[in-house]
Amino acid sequence: MKTPLEPRSGASAGDGPAGALVPPPVPPPRGPGRVREAGTTAVDAAPPGTFRLAAGGLSLLVPRRPLLAGVLLATVLVAVGAVGLSVGEIAVAPLDALRAAVLGEGSPRDLLVVEELRMPRVEAGIAVGAALGAAGCLMQTLSGNRLATPDTVGLNNGATAFAVAGIVAVPTGLLPSATALVGAATAAALTLALSGGAGQRGYRFLVVGLGVGAVFGAVTNLILSRAEIDAANAAFAWTVGTLNGRSQTAVTVLEAGLLVCLPPAVVLGHRLGALRFSDAVATSLGVRVRPVRAAVLLTSVVCAGLAVAVAGPLGMIALAAPEAARRLTGPGPVPVVTSALAGAVLTLLADLVGRTAMAPLEIPVGLVTAVVGGPYLLWLLLTTRTRRTP
Amino acid sequence: MTLRKTLLRGLLPVSAVLLAVVAASLLLGAGDVGPARAAAVLLGGADGDADARFTVLELRLPRTAVAVAVGAALGVAGAVLQATARNPLAEPGLLGVSAGASFAVVLAIVLGASATTVGPYAAVLGAAAGCLLALGAARLRGAGDDPVRLVLAGAAFSGMVGAASSVLLLVNQRASDEIRFWTVGSVVGRGTDDLMAVLPVLLLGLAAAAAVSPALSSLALGDDVATGLGHRPRRVRAVAVTSVALLVGGATAVAGPVAFVGLVVPFAARALVGPDLRRLLGVSVLLGPAVVLLADVVSRLVVRPYEMPLGVMTALFGAPVLVAVVRSSRLPSL
Repeated sequence: MKTPLEPRSGASAGDGPAGALVPPPVPPPRGPGRVREAGTTAVDAAPPGTFRLAAGGLSLLVPRRPLLAGVLLATVLVAVGAVGLSVGEIAVAPLDALRAAVLGEGSPRDLLVVEELRMPRVEAGIAVGAALGAAGCLMQTLSGNRLATPDTVGLNNGATAFAVAGIVAVPTGLLPSATALVGAATAAALTLALSGGAGQRGYRFLVVGLGVGAVFGAVTNLILSRAEIDAANAAFAWTVGTLNGRSQTAVTVLEAGLLVCLPPAVVLGHRLGALRFSDAVATSLGVRVRPVRAAVLLTSVVCAGLAVAVAGPLGMIALAAPEAARRLTGPGPVPVVTSALAGAVLTLLADLVGRTAMAPLEIPVGLVTAVVGGPYLLWLLLTTRTRRTP
Repeated sequence: MTLRKTLLRGLLPVSAVLLAVVAASLLLGAGDVGPARAAAVLLGGADGDADARFTVLELRLPRTAVAVAVGAALGVAGAVLQATARNPLAEPGLLGVSAGASFAVVLAIVLGASATTVGPYAAVLGAAAGCLLALGAARLRGAGDDPVRLVLAGAAFSGMVGAASSVLLLVNQRASDEIRFWTVGSVVGRGTDDLMAVLPVLLLGLAAAAAVSPALSSLALGDDVATGLGHRPRRVRAVAVTSVALLVGGATAVAGPVAFVGLVVPFAARALVGPDLRRLLGVSVLLGPAVVLLADVVSRLVVRPYEMPLGVMTALFGAPVLVAVVRSSRLPSL
């Protein structure tokens, strides 16, 4: 017998009454009778709250609010990125910085500072934040629990342990990205196996994840305590999460991974929406639950693993970004892309704070997110009503 | 369970294990002095072997004593906190009590205090704050009914406070060098001075725990029944929290945050002698040292000639126990 869990509905919408049924997005209308030119009449024909794009025999409904949220977040992302490019030891005006970064124009000094020094870091921040945001959104939807994110279920720690092992203890010659992926998959498999499946037992899943994460964290520390002091200093980044001097190869791999993973996640959008209901409802809506679950889990593990390979165990982004995205988009399709954008914005902001708050000293971005995100996580935990864990 | 059974099933085997582990702790180490030379020192026959004498008497003996004190404190604190929160997962490390204590110590050192003299008191204050926060959270709407959620809240609090400590250490390099190893939990290089500084705190905490245990077990019947039996629930809880704060604060001041001991020890003790709090405390006070010492001995041996931080070892032991407790179909109710 299955007891309905409150967190499942908590994941469905940021606002609105808990447990309110969210209508799945209407599939795009098809057929010759409905084809019209894209224009005012077509918009009028679309259901409320959506745009309709039509071309030839195909048309696509674009929900209005998520689109606006996406545009807004993208604008904010560009603005924060410009500030990130311009702030530092050598100040560059934000517009000049953008020009140097995008067009490659400007004084040689600006070009050096922006393109050589700051751009890789901003790029890494955007990629890591986007991957974590998307992974968090997918995992929350999958488990029906808005606290289930790669960092709370031990995935980040698993990826870190394997990446550190690959670098320090057993130099394999493999990219840290590869070992981190294996670690993320191992941790996810362990947590799922030990807790008997996500979403079935509510918070139990999370505490099992906490335990698995603790073991992997201890393994990381064990490896680091064996390492020579120089290697251990280099490995400090792996214990907190930072964007300083990250491996360019890992960033490239992450970007490639995002390109591969995000489009399927977006296409899977309305099936993901059905996963927010119980399995029985999803099945009756025509969704094959198991393959979709497996695909979604795989995507989120890959995203989180590759992101950890770049920046180390960066917490809280995967928790906060989907939450922000849901607030912005409202009920409707699962906001994978919006979460990714929100994650990128949050990561860049946190890194900016870490770089400027105590300049010239730099606070790793992972510490900033932990200090700022901790109270938020506590608030989420303590204000969500739940039944007793079954 | 009769007293005789308690003795036979709980105290005797645990005492034997403790003695064995103490012997192992004195005989085994990461360095060159092997068991044979160490045994010669202990039996009084190694006057010429200054090296071995120094290692055993000046390094291993104080370290063993510190581990025993820390283990007893954490084991008892875990049992008392579990009874107070009526939650089998309530563990000082998991609920953020240790994190609060270590943050207070870091703050005190950054502000210029000395780790040995001021540390214990700052740690006790920090532990008290962490304890009150955790129990306060437990009493908030709904959260207290769910043992598992309290652990998550504690983990969130620990993570936050731990990151704040890291930021402080990043800013202050001197403090960072002073306590780099302390922040992961370790008994390496702790001497008699460190132990003497916290011993009064720990003894006071143990006394408070022993004094409050009968009343605390009546609270398990509910506040109304406890009041009817002549106890004052609020005061009992206050004493219990004070004792946990003293024990965890003292232990953290000397050994850093060591997690999971307060979970593993009462869990095992409950399996040995059942749920009665007084028996539980009696077994925990012996079992705690055994667990911490065992972890310490193993941490010396697995990565020779290096040593592994104690906190890492207890996490390796303890996290699987946490998973096992959570997985068991019915959480043991308290």
